[in-house]
Amino acid sequence: MEKTLLLKAEVREHTGSKAVRKVRRQGRIPAIVYGHKQEPVAISLDQHDFVEGLHHGHRLIDVQMGRKKEKMLVKEVQHDYLGRNIIHVDLIRVDMGETIKVTVPIELKGIAAGTHEGGIIEEHSNTLEIECKVTDIPETIVLLVKDVHVGDALHAGDIELPDGVKLVSSPETLLVTCRLVAAAKTAEEAEEEMPIAPEVIGEVKEPGEGETSQG
Amino acid sequence: MAMMPKRGKHRKSQRGKMRGNASRCNFVAFGEYGLQALETSWITGRNIEAGRVAATHFLHREGKVYIRIFPHKPVSSKPLETRMGKGKGETDFWVARVRPGQVCFEIGGVAEDVAKEALVRVAHKMPIKCRFVKRRHSL
Repeated sequence: MEKTLLLKAEVREHTGSKAVRKVRRQGRIPAIVYGHKQEPVAISLDQHDFVEGLHHGHRLIDVQMGRKKEKMLVKEVQHDYLGRNIIHVDLIRVDMGETIKVTVPIELKGIAAGTHEGGIIEEHSNTLEIECKVTDIPETIVLLVKDVHVGDALHAGDIELPDGVKLVSSPETLLVTCRLVAAAKTAEEAEEEMPIAPEVIGEVKEPGEGETSQG
Repeated sequence: MAMMPKRGKHRKSQRGKMRGNASRCNFVAFGEYGLQALETSWITGRNIEAGRVAATHFLHREGKVYIRIFPHKPVSSKPLETRMGKGKGETDFWVARVRPGQVCFEIGGVAEDVAKEALVRVAHKMPIKCRFVKRRHSL
């Protein structure tokens, strides 16, 4: 991940939901900068430029705040309730030679052998925590599922990581499994399993009565 | 058969209100593609079951369908031709409370076009407007 992007930021003097809403109306995204044992600074970024950069895979950005230029890593992005717009961004200060812990998405590649045997691939976790230099952060970690048969499982420890990248997540973290699709239940079977009426906790059944009363 | 809880604390519940948007369960978490609610509504166990049947029937046992909502809330009604009064009616059906943003169904293990077609069929069974969403892999 050597791509960097230069964004101009404005320091936000007013914080809180009302001020932030005003910032968003102006086509900007509220953000916070922290790290390196310095005071956190509330800033705002141009929405269009930031979103464009993110879509092009930029995670490392140069932020110009007045005359000061700092290198930052996008730590977290918050979306609105529909997941359409970005509402807030967390940025962390980094140095080029620094080693950091980051969460990277996993990309599955290939068609699993198990899918030809009637199985399906289930993705249990789609991110992995790694430790590496800021300049070596991979965009995604590729996981080859070509040789996964029915009943097989791939764990975090099975992944071949690029040079200079160390695994932080537990090696036993389950990533992918391949299992047979369970036979669908017939309507009669499903009906037999379903209760006629739910059992009420704490209700006492009166002896000799078919009906139940609230206890 | 419509979904309902196995056990509960109370037999009947008040109607309640559903204000605001979904602040959780609003992104695809289990499968690859999902169906997101765009309106506030009660979704009955029967609606959910109809959606599940529509998806599984279309997918021909391929892939996996995840149901992210469950009808926890009992809705009571009075029998026909009954005079008013004499207490609250008996539980008639069960509903899930859904707010805008809630991901109701998810599908994994199939191609995007197949999942989209399946979720369109599910959306037709829902009493609200829905939209097709994909899993957000990166930030």
